[in-house]
Amino acid sequence: MRFSESAVALAVFVAASSCIREEARNAECDITGVTLPGDVLNRLPVIDNDKVTLIVKNDVSVMSLAPEFELTPGATIEPASGTSRNFLFPQTYIVTSEDGMWSKRYTVSVERNNTINLNYNFENVRVVSALGGACSYDVFYEVAPTGVESLEWASANAAFALTFQASSPNTFPTYQGDEGVAGHCAVLTTRSTGSYGQRLGKPIASGNLFIGKFDMTDAIAHPLEATHFGAPFNNVPTQFSGYYKYAPGETYCEPDESGKLVPVEGKSDMFSLYAVFYESVPGQEWLDGTNVLSADNPHIISTAEIPDRRASEEWVEFSVPFRFRPGKSVDEDKLKAGKYSIAIVMGSSQEGDRFCGAVGSTLKVDELSVSCMKDSDEN
Amino acid sequence: MRRIKRTIFAMSAAFMAMQGAFAANPGSEGSEGGFRLEYEVNAGTNIGGASPMPLPVEIRKINSYNPELNLQIGGTVRHWFAGTEKWGAAVGVRLETKGMKTGATVKNYGMEIIDNGKTLKGRWTGKVTTRYHSQQLVVPLTACYRPSRKITLNFGPYLSYAFSNEFDGYVSEGYLREGDPTGDKISFSGDSRASYDFSEELRKFQWGLQLGGSWNVYKRLSLNANLTWGLNGVFNSSFKTISFKLYPVYLNLGFGYRF
Repeated sequence: MRFSESAVALAVFVAASSCIREEARNAECDITGVTLPGDVLNRLPVIDNDKVTLIVKNDVSVMSLAPEFELTPGATIEPASGTSRNFLFPQTYIVTSEDGMWSKRYTVSVERNNTINLNYNFENVRVVSALGGACSYDVFYEVAPTGVESLEWASANAAFALTFQASSPNTFPTYQGDEGVAGHCAVLTTRSTGSYGQRLGKPIASGNLFIGKFDMTDAIAHPLEATHFGAPFNNVPTQFSGYYKYAPGETYCEPDESGKLVPVEGKSDMFSLYAVFYESVPGQEWLDGTNVLSADNPHIISTAEIPDRRASEEWVEFSVPFRFRPGKSVDEDKLKAGKYSIAIVMGSSQEGDRFCGAVGSTLKVDELSVSCMKDSDEN
Repeated sequence: MRRIKRTIFAMSAAFMAMQGAFAANPGSEGSEGGFRLEYEVNAGTNIGGASPMPLPVEIRKINSYNPELNLQIGGTVRHWFAGTEKWGAAVGVRLETKGMKTGATVKNYGMEIIDNGKTLKGRWTGKVTTRYHSQQLVVPLTACYRPSRKITLNFGPYLSYAFSNEFDGYVSEGYLREGDPTGDKISFSGDSRASYDFSEELRKFQWGLQLGGSWNVYKRLSLNANLTWGLNGVFNSSFKTISFKLYPVYLNLGFGYRF
């Protein structure tokens, strides 16, 4: 009986396997890689789902660049790879899938001698919808005095949408609040990720906002690595200041092995709010959740951390210096060449990266600023 | 366990009722021996699965298939028409499990996860593990043909009622494109997986066709083989998450004892 059962199982298996049909042509239409002729890039290309940012060295002319693209196998791009274009303004490319059914519009922009804002007031958000319009979240951006958008803040809101817990922007972990020190402020709240997040072993989501890029592709598989902290910075930062309010959530919890939250007696939640100035080197162009404050990270030059963070219903003003790590200094040539980066990172649960914290912990932040040794570039 | 016991009881009651129905209606012959009934009890195992027919192009590879041990017990009442002795009709009742566990690799596989009133739609490329386990009460109504003393063939429809239904699994080692193939790409690797449970969406009533035969090996003992082919998908028709229908196709192998 045993034997015949296995024999039939095998027969069914073989029959099913032999019915596998010929593979369909690829439906995806991604830019998977970008190169520029010559040694002109200052950072790895930043490739998002519908835009590409190329950060070039400060002495490179952007009037005529001919990027070459790697695409999903079989896909085509228009204009073709290697076409010279003027990147003083962002350029549009259309990628069409191998099966011809799908196409995607990419905006490719080139940044050079990039100077990001030094003051952050959280007055500007754009609302991005997710899950086919079932929910929408805020994306903060800053506008330079010239009126040009100069920085888009990153957060993990896009990943939180996938937990099915959110609907309007203020049900996400990171959103714009009304009662800032002046105008609006950023609000970060630690949220439960519900049954779906729990099944993934990620039962809470700390509110989070940072300078850098959130890599959605890696959000579930490698959440710590998905936060790419930092953007090129051409000054030496000296002071980090601003305002915060903090109300820890009621019950501090840690996830057990099954991802279920277990209360921890006598422990209260605490937020994080700090800035890191570091050197971008090949192989570690950005910092991430695994190493952003690591004592042994050799590329960190200086950090600005608030020593006496506390819960408060009133706005707390802070101003902390960037302290150099032992033996670290700024190399003038590297500074001119744009080799340094800065990251400002905030979170409503400082151990949210390990999915520990109290649901409901809320951090409000407003009027952040970074002072620099020479504030000549802009303010 | 209690549930199974109760069902066995229900089944034996149904079996006896059937016997009664036949016995109470001795037919036009009106004489003893003219209307001949044959009773059989049988047991066996089901091997098969709930499978799309044919396999959709999205399924690139079947990595594993485990038929699981699906036991079946039941009874059949046969009536051989007088005169021919070759043709007859049968009604049966079976308590059986239909199950399987499969692992497949898919490409650009339409999927939908519904939770908290919201829907995540997308295309999955990677591994899908599926477990199906259904306990059913099945009533086949078949025509019987006896080409020789040793062989009995049967063919006809069956109706089934599932009193326990499970369909669950997870996706892993791959990526989701949210919405359509141009959407955000979300990778799953290592231990990260997204589980699903569509048990609530399974149909309670199914029907299909049965084709089978039995070989009379020794006096009252026969070896039976019946292929059952579901004609409605295992899911309710309102269920759209899996974009193709899954049909239960099972081969029942076992033996029977005639009284």
